[in-house]
Amino acid sequence: MNDELEKFGLSGEELFSRVDHDSVDSEKITAPKYSYWHSVFRVFFRKKINIVILVLLAAVIAFAYIYPMVGDYDKFANLMDSSAKHLSPSKAIDRFGFSIHWILGAGAAGNSTFDAVWHGAKISISLALICAAINMTIGVIVGAIWGFSKKVDVFMTEIYNIIANIPYLLFISVMVMLFSAGFWTMVLALTATGWLSIAYFIRTQVVIIRDREYNLASRCLGTSTIKIAMKNILPFMTSIIVTLIATEIPSYISYEVFLSYVGMGLSDMSLGRLIYEAESAMVTPGWEFEFWSPVVLASVITIVLYVVGQNLGDASDPRTHM
Amino acid sequence: MTKYLLKRLLHGLISIIIVVALVMIMVYSLLDRNHIFAKDTTYSHQSNNSKTVYMYYKWEEYGYLDYVPYADYLQEMADNGQIDEETRNKAVAFGKTADDDSEIAGKYVEKFTKHYEDEGYTVVRLDAKMQGKNKYANGGQQQLFAYKDVPLLKRLWSYFTGIITIDNINKVENDVGERGLTFTLYDPVYGGDKFSPAIMGNGTKSKYLLYFDKKFPFIHQNIVSINLGKSYTVNQGIDVFDTMTTSQGSYVKSTITYPTGLKEESADDLHTATYMANSLHSSLVFETRYVDDYTNVDTVKNNMSKIGYSFVIGVIASILAYLVGVPLGILMARKKDKLIDKIGTVYIVFIMAVPSLAYIFLFKAIGGKMGLPTTFDMESSSKLMYILPIVSLALPSGANLMKWLRRYMIDQMNSDYVKFARSGGLTEGEIFSRHILKNAAIPIVHGIPGTVLGALVGAIITERVYVVPGAGNLLVEAIGKYDNGVIVGVTLFYALLTVISLVLGDILISKIDPRISFSSKNR
Repeated sequence: MNDELEKFGLSGEELFSRVDHDSVDSEKITAPKYSYWHSVFRVFFRKKINIVILVLLAAVIAFAYIYPMVGDYDKFANLMDSSAKHLSPSKAIDRFGFSIHWILGAGAAGNSTFDAVWHGAKISISLALICAAINMTIGVIVGAIWGFSKKVDVFMTEIYNIIANIPYLLFISVMVMLFSAGFWTMVLALTATGWLSIAYFIRTQVVIIRDREYNLASRCLGTSTIKIAMKNILPFMTSIIVTLIATEIPSYISYEVFLSYVGMGLSDMSLGRLIYEAESAMVTPGWEFEFWSPVVLASVITIVLYVVGQNLGDASDPRTHM
Repeated sequence: MTKYLLKRLLHGLISIIIVVALVMIMVYSLLDRNHIFAKDTTYSHQSNNSKTVYMYYKWEEYGYLDYVPYADYLQEMADNGQIDEETRNKAVAFGKTADDDSEIAGKYVEKFTKHYEDEGYTVVRLDAKMQGKNKYANGGQQQLFAYKDVPLLKRLWSYFTGIITIDNINKVENDVGERGLTFTLYDPVYGGDKFSPAIMGNGTKSKYLLYFDKKFPFIHQNIVSINLGKSYTVNQGIDVFDTMTTSQGSYVKSTITYPTGLKEESADDLHTATYMANSLHSSLVFETRYVDDYTNVDTVKNNMSKIGYSFVIGVIASILAYLVGVPLGILMARKKDKLIDKIGTVYIVFIMAVPSLAYIFLFKAIGGKMGLPTTFDMESSSKLMYILPIVSLALPSGANLMKWLRRYMIDQMNSDYVKFARSGGLTEGEIFSRHILKNAAIPIVHGIPGTVLGALVGAIITERVYVVPGAGNLLVEAIGKYDNGVIVGVTLFYALLTVISLVLGDILISKIDPRISFSSKNR
């Protein structure tokens, strides 16, 4: 029989074969198994570059949180030592001997630039994550209600038009004055009105799909509004929300840098504050490392976060799961 | 259309009023008012009661409250003729404590207290602080005054009614002789024999109400003036609007004929003369040059105003951004997933993700390496110093344009009308330029007025990094110096620009896209 098959260039697998009737299996509906999040990660990891960036992101965040915990960093340890200030990496290593602390040189107080930037990174990342979590939660919930209810829409749109016109800087400075320039003040200042623009964005998206035919059909069949929101609209919004998170988190880091630069930032030594204080070092020969280190680290963190978020956002769009 | 736009404008104005009210609540009520003394050396040199009085005096100047010292109250009564000078002198000397008051002083102190407490003021009496038996401690003199916070509605009302002032011949309260307007065909500023019509006033705030000169737009007026709020610390005593619009730099001297006929090399601009009470005989300089009390003149300077610099840099940067961003965005959409699209995407990601401060410094470092000037110097005639600020502004906004244009065009590429055009045999080039671009450009066009007007506001970081003397830093500076007048004024200016640019954007898209109509029937 095999000879005969080979004559036609076929293998045994390609022939019809008899299947026994199984009364248990025939009771099951056999569609391919589909899990949304499973597909999201399948699509996400299909691109090899995503794995590299994700590993980089994990490494940066882990390092920013673990390194300050294990090393004892005292900014003012070498304050009285005038020969320890503003050293380039090679000079710092000559001066203190080789260790990981001195690979980026020493700063204005004779402190290790490497330690300073990672302490700063921890503060900046924490700020961005907390602000993004608060703003996204409030923004998405309010935005959904805003998009659904026409009464709320009229009211909220007016509020949006007014608040969007108040200079954000002024708002933040008032907050800082009222409560001192601490970490939680900054969180409060960035979240007090920050959710509004997210809510407005979500509202626009909800308005776009609210009156689509399938939602109309659901409503005609008597589905409750909450169920429509949770089952029909939320899945549609997932990729939009993920993409939004991808732009939001880096934007808080950028914003913190900006605020520090105009002198309204944190009192803690965040990345922004480091950049602000080392600005004069940028043009001084031999001092460049203390300025460019926080700039580069802030850029790397924001780019990695942004790219991971964007690609995750693309992957969470079901249309890419085919 | 007109009805819709009027409605939009009205809505916008209401929002502006609410915004200003909110900002006023913030700066006058929420902020700790002691902060204004943080950098005040006069304050730190004072002590005891005089420090307290100085605080209230300053708070009145900054517009927080209405402050009336006891002596002013008596002086006013004396001026009105209610009491004579002798009584005033006796009454003003109130005692170190309430028990030490002389009979007449006690009577007037009581009158003062009752008068102001009835009007809702708080009356404060500070007993003398002594050092030893007969010697006052430093600044320890006894003090008596009344104060009352200015209510929000009153502050709002006086602010909005004071924005536009129209000059008239009864503006000056002092005696100025015969009030009236004179029309002349030969402007005395040019020596009186050159033909140049001008309207001059006596009794008005400005001497010249309408005049011609060589500067654009050649005809100038001083009748209607705009006051956005007086500055205290940023630019003392000068209105925000003037702070933003007056020229900066060094003086430009020319031969000037003063009203007395004196000719001199000077930078004074006689056309800007305003009334300053009793100034003529106050100094010899004025006496030899002027014939009346209109002695307060501005000077001619050689450079642009704060807004001027911001606007020039901002507008050129926007034009550059559109010139670069639009073609590149189209190219990226046409060559989707090809090399050019990928390079463009990397660039967009870089601009979107990296803190703007970081890439502006990067541009500055690169520019510096290439030998371009990295700081702005008004006195330099070189145009090269404009390059880096303009590039730093144009590159990010170009990236933003590319990102949106690419997205809009790719969205349009799968629509039915594009497939129809393709099946009709049009080339890809024609489809892109005639069909897709037209539709994709609508949201982009909507943003053009905002970009142009936004240039007036200036760019905070760019102007700071390159030391550009523009308007972008004004708000930050005002917040840093607790200059409430400037904060409120700048906020109003921003809000007004936002409202106007949104409405202009609507008009613009309805002009270029016939499908968009704002009249209620077609919506």
